[in-house]
Amino acid sequence: MSSNVGQTTGYKLTKADLRQINIRNLVGFQAGWNYERMQHSGYLWIILPQLRKIYGDNTEALKTACRTQCSPFFNTSNFLNTIITGIDLAIEETEGTEGLETVASLKTGLMGPLASIGDSIFGSLLPTIFGALAANMAMEGNPLGIFIWIASCVVVDWFRCKQTYIAYDQGMKLVTTMSDKLNAITDAATVMGVFMVGALVSTNVGIVLTINPNIGGVPLNVQDILNNICPKLVPAALVGFVYWLLGRKGMTSTKAIFIVLVIGIVFGALNLVAKG
Amino acid sequence: MIQWWQILLLTLYAGFQIMDELHWYSSAGSAVFSGFFTGLVMGDMATGLFIGGSMQLTILGVGTFGGASRIDANSGTLIATAFAVSSGMDPEQALAALGVPVAAILVYTDILGRMANTFWGHACDADVEKMNWGAYNVHYWMGAVSWCLSRMIPVFLALAFGQGLVDAITGALNGDLAWLGTGLTVAGGMLPAVGFAILLRYLPVKKHVAYLILGFVIAALLGTAFSSIQTIGGDVATVAGATETAINGGSFKGLSMLTVALIGFALAYIYYQQHQTGAVAAVSAGAEGDDDDEL
Repeated sequence: MSSNVGQTTGYKLTKADLRQINIRNLVGFQAGWNYERMQHSGYLWIILPQLRKIYGDNTEALKTACRTQCSPFFNTSNFLNTIITGIDLAIEETEGTEGLETVASLKTGLMGPLASIGDSIFGSLLPTIFGALAANMAMEGNPLGIFIWIASCVVVDWFRCKQTYIAYDQGMKLVTTMSDKLNAITDAATVMGVFMVGALVSTNVGIVLTINPNIGGVPLNVQDILNNICPKLVPAALVGFVYWLLGRKGMTSTKAIFIVLVIGIVFGALNLVAKG
Repeated sequence: MIQWWQILLLTLYAGFQIMDELHWYSSAGSAVFSGFFTGLVMGDMATGLFIGGSMQLTILGVGTFGGASRIDANSGTLIATAFAVSSGMDPEQALAALGVPVAAILVYTDILGRMANTFWGHACDADVEKMNWGAYNVHYWMGAVSWCLSRMIPVFLALAFGQGLVDAITGALNGDLAWLGTGLTVAGGMLPAVGFAILLRYLPVKKHVAYLILGFVIAALLGTAFSSIQTIGGDVATVAGATETAINGGSFKGLSMLTVALIGFALAYIYYQQHQTGAVAAVSAGAEGDDDDEL
C-alpha cells in the first residue's frame, strides 16, 4: 500500500460516500462550533469515514491528513461548505497526503468568499423574504406562511446536498465557472430584498402620531395632514432614524433595539404616538 | 399556570431549535416558528403567531455573520408567548416587556456555550493524535450538548419559576403602571423598524434606492386602500345588520403580502435579465472604446 502515490489505499469515493457526507453535514456540521477555531472539528467530522477509507485505518497518513483538517481555524457558510469538501476529497483521493498542502490553501482561500455569498443569500435574503412573509401572515393569525418557508428550506437543503456531488465531480474547475453566475443572482436577489424592506416598512411598523396641537385655537390633526402627503410617513421616518442610529460609532443591533424600546415607552406614555 | 408537560415540551423545543438553525435549517429555528409552536403547546396559536411574527420582523436583519453572537429571539418569543397565554398578558406588552429582555439576556448563555466548546475542540485534537475515532465522535457531539443546554437551562428555569414574577408584572401593568403598559404597546409596534433598518445597513441601499421607494409606495398605497375598503365593508355590514337588509358582496380582505412579494420577484427577474445583457453590452462597448483609442 505504501508504494501508492501519497500513501493512499487507492480507494475511490462512491455515491454512497457522498450521501454519507451530506447526511453528516445536515445533522451535525456545526455541533462542535467554538470561539477558538469555529468549524475546525466539524469539517473533519463530516468526512472522517471517507478519510479512513482513502488512507486506511491506523496509518500515519491518516493521522497526518486528520491533523491537517482538524487543527487550523475554519469557518464558512454552513450552506456552501460542502463545495469545499467536495473539491477537497477529489484532490485527496488522487494525490493523498501530497495534496494536503493544496487542500489547506483551498480551504483558507475559499472559506471567505463562500461565507460572504452564503451569508448574504441563505443567511440574510431568503430568511428576510420568507421570514417576512411568514411573520406577516402569522400576525394576522395565519400559520400558512411558516409552511411556505419550510418548503423553501427543503429546496435549499436539496441544493446543499446536490452541490457536494457537483463539487466532487468538477474539482478545481468549479471555482472559476461558479463566480460569474453567482454575482448576477446575488445582485438580483438584493433588488428583491430592498423592494421587500420598502413594502414591509409601510405595512409592519404600526405607529401613528396622536399629537393634536392647537394653533390659534384651531386643533391640528398632524397625522391626517401627513396622510395627505403620503400614507405611512411616520414608520418611514422611524426606520430612517434607526438606520442613521446604526451608522453611529459603537452602536450594536441590541443597543438599537433597546433605544427604540425606550423611545416607544416614553412617547406612548406621553400619548404622543399610538399603535396604529 | 403552565403545566409540567408544557414546560417539558417547550424545554425540549428550546434545545431542538438551535440544532435546527445550526444544521438542517427547516425554519423551525426561527422566531415566527417558535411563536407558532409555543402557541400550539400553550393552546393559543393566535397569540403565539402574533408575538413570533413581531419578533421575526424585529430581528429580520440580524444574521449570525462570522459566527457572532446575536439576540436570541427564539427563546425570547418562547418565554413571551408562554407567559402571555398563562398570565393573560397583552401580546404586544409581552413582546416588549418579556420577549426582548429575555432574548438579550440569553446572548450570554449562547456565549457560554460557544466557549465551553473550545474545550471539546481541544479534546478532538488529542483524539486525532491517538486516532481514537470513537472518542472523537463522543467529544465532537459533546459540543451539541453545550449548544442545547445553553438554551434549555434558561428556558426551563424561566418557565418553571417565572410565573409569580410575570403575574406581578402583568398586575402592575394593568393597575398602577398603566402608562407603562401603553408605552410598551407602542414600543411593540415600533420594534420591527429596527429589523428593517438593520437589513438596510446590509443591503446595497444606495444602488437600489429606486426599488426601496417602489416597494414602500406600492405597499403604502395598496395597504391604505385595502384597509379602508375593509373598514367600509365592516360599516356596510353593520348598517345592513341594523336595517336587516341582506347585502351581496365579497368578503373584504387585507393586503396580501404574497402578491407584493411577487411584484418584487418580477422586478428582480427583470433586473437579472437586464444585468446579464448589460454585462455583454458593456464588454462590447469596452472593445469599441479600445478601437477608438487606437484611432
